[in-house]
Amino acid sequence: MTLAADLATIRALMRRALNEILRVPGAAIPGVLAPTIFFLGLTAVFGNLTLLPGFTTESYQSFLIPVSLMQGAGFTGAATGVNLARDIEQGWFDRLVASPAPRPVLLAGLVASASFRSLIPAAMLLIVGFSLGAHWPGPGGLAIALLITMGMAIVAAAWGTTIALKFKTQSASPLMQAGMLLLILTTTAYAPLELLTGWLQEVARYNPVTQIVDAARQGFVGSVTWGETWPGLLALAGLAALLLALALRGMRRIAD
Amino acid sequence: MTGGFVTNARVVAALGRRATRQTFRRPQLMAPILIFPTLLLAIQVGGAGRAVDLPQFPEVNGFLDFMIAGAMVQATMLAGNSGGIALALDIEMGFTDRLLAAPISRFAIVLGRLVGTAALGAVTAIWFLAIALIFGAHIEGGVGGALLIVLLVTLCAIAFGSIGAAIALRSGSASVVQGLFPLVFVILFLSTAFFPGNLLLEPARSVAEWNPLSFIVDGVRDLVISTFSGTQFAEGIAALALLGAAGLGMSAAAMRGRVRRGG
Amino acid sequence: MPAIETRDLQRVFSGDVVAVAGVNLRIERGEIYAFLGPNGAGKTTMVRMLTTLLRPTGGSASVAGHDVVAEAGEVRRAIGVALQEAALDPLMTGRELILLQATLHGLPGAEGRARAERLLARVGLTNAADRRVGTYSGGMRRRLDLASALVHEPHILFLDEPTTGLDPVSRKAIWEEVEKMNREGTTVFLTTQYLEEADNLADRVGIIDDGRIVAEGTPESLKAEIGRPHLEVVLGDGAMERAQEILGRFGKPLPAKDGAALVELEGGASGVAPVVRALDEAGLVVESLELVQPSLDDVFVAKTGYHLEGSGDETAVPEASSN
Repeated sequence: MTLAADLATIRALMRRALNEILRVPGAAIPGVLAPTIFFLGLTAVFGNLTLLPGFTTESYQSFLIPVSLMQGAGFTGAATGVNLARDIEQGWFDRLVASPAPRPVLLAGLVASASFRSLIPAAMLLIVGFSLGAHWPGPGGLAIALLITMGMAIVAAAWGTTIALKFKTQSASPLMQAGMLLLILTTTAYAPLELLTGWLQEVARYNPVTQIVDAARQGFVGSVTWGETWPGLLALAGLAALLLALALRGMRRIAD
Repeated sequence: MTGGFVTNARVVAALGRRATRQTFRRPQLMAPILIFPTLLLAIQVGGAGRAVDLPQFPEVNGFLDFMIAGAMVQATMLAGNSGGIALALDIEMGFTDRLLAAPISRFAIVLGRLVGTAALGAVTAIWFLAIALIFGAHIEGGVGGALLIVLLVTLCAIAFGSIGAAIALRSGSASVVQGLFPLVFVILFLSTAFFPGNLLLEPARSVAEWNPLSFIVDGVRDLVISTFSGTQFAEGIAALALLGAAGLGMSAAAMRGRVRRGG
Repeated sequence: MPAIETRDLQRVFSGDVVAVAGVNLRIERGEIYAFLGPNGAGKTTMVRMLTTLLRPTGGSASVAGHDVVAEAGEVRRAIGVALQEAALDPLMTGRELILLQATLHGLPGAEGRARAERLLARVGLTNAADRRVGTYSGGMRRRLDLASALVHEPHILFLDEPTTGLDPVSRKAIWEEVEKMNREGTTVFLTTQYLEEADNLADRVGIIDDGRIVAEGTPESLKAEIGRPHLEVVLGDGAMERAQEILGRFGKPLPAKDGAALVELEGGASGVAPVVRALDEAGLVVESLELVQPSLDDVFVAKTGYHLEGSGDETAVPEASSN
């Protein structure tokens, strides 16, 4: 297939994914609201952790907001997986798979929309966060945070797609969400590395997603430097590559 | 009461057995109720554990000791939600109609379901007590305290089960009950489930002061982190009684409405 | 080069379920070939293997000269597919669906749009094209599915139970469309559980049961193989066993159908009178009596031992073939 044809396919699949939100708006609301609700809850409950000596900021909102952004990306990506599982169950997916569109193009079409859709819960989160006193990260910090959000949405969509292709049922959706949640929370999500305790400190030390969280967090808690940014972007790229490869493998194996 | 006491008791027992079998025969449904709060517990203990160093933090053996009560209550809320979903599915598939057409008390239908949820509650308590002991927490209340914990948590499951049943009866739809599941988190955030009341920020702090969940969690927590306090225990029981009464009242009303509308 | 060819094609699912147990096919270009069989016979599994949606677990298959496993991409380019589940998105409009199909096949914008309009007009959906598919009737959905399968002008069309669940008028409309496509040169492979469909549409029929082809040929040759007409007798007071015993003296008994006793008549029409006399002498009240020429159902019964359609009471008949 020519490049033009491939791009047209990706655009068409993205349009279809967007249609879901426009045509059944109620379905999107939980995914959009949930990150903000969790953000409000967690900051109210654990906000005073900033009193601990060694905490890198006095505003827990600023500290937590990048984590909530990534959680939003996680929910968005999981929704992609759930929609795919439904499409498989209802036979729609056969239409895509029986067509000559190359498998990587189909995958790109499925996950690309997630990255744009993740900006919706992100926008809500940022509005609420700033109004509660989260620090303004500056244009550079904000750009990095949003870039990472969109990247995590692709990671989550790839994970959701892999699960959907493997189990072919919507009831696997908890697995899609839990996987991402676990990945994001076993990091410096709740507190800086030195203040984590026990097993979590060890896991967070080696979890590549910690780099991603720290990179997204920079502008909100301090200044943005290239030294803090590149490890996060590298980890994100690596994670995305790994999960996209897994999803592609699943797509090629769907006829087994 | 329609049907006489003995008949209804038998019906409740039979429905209870069915509910219990449903729960335990499908571990993939039971697992999220236990696994999810356990994972969250592990992450929160690891992430916020240093809070015990804060001067305002109550005297505890460890952060796990503090948190375990919240995890238990969270699990019972999920169990209640799951019982509600099961009841809603029964309604959707017409099984409840069969029961309503029989000469038995309406309440037997709800009570039978609650027996299953209570069993799940007891399992929850034992699971988390085991986790607590394995990972180094101390149950200051001793063996007696542990037994009281099992009792409280079981009653908790029944209370939330009755609320879940009320929602199921009112809506008749499993997806509505399922959709309310995120509410569990919101309500818990606004209580002392995860952090001491004096360290919460507004608005959680004010809401937590009168949130019945705070009293319930504190009742269980007291048995873990200190010796038995009659007041805390009584407050916990009272809060549970309040929730249970509300749940059963709503269930009765919803049941009446359902019967009047013809299902 | 045949349009479709399979060699000992097999598909086993986990749990040792053998859905397709070694099928050999050779379908020439321009044919309409029908796979006829009951539910669970393996028809859908065959179609899914030939359309690259399912990998064979044994044997081989080639479509349009390309192997379905090694050259799946080329196969997909050459075929049009309309599956049993009518894989449609209820939230899309008919036009959006055909346009998406055109995009999936790499048709450039303007040409894709032109073809979409032509096809929508051809199946009579131009007026409904901007309504959501969720509002379409069953017949409309099938027509849309068929139209979208044609958007890239494939040489070979696969139809899995194209008229199941449709009313007679819609069914006829689909048949006319399929015949028209075939006249234009498209090879058609279809599966069906309807005798009439196979009889009317197909150049050749493969009767499939339990994952195997039990008979293959043109409808005429298959029926000629069976050859003999049979008598259908409906009795007034339901004296089935007695009637079957009497009938058994005049020819080979066949499985009962819809409350009627059946017997194959060796001598054809001349054998009717003795049967009537015998039933009359036995004092049995005959409500109706019909001499039926052989049909594909008879072929099916001869090969499998049971009816494909309308077997009401499964009254066992001695000496009926039982494999």
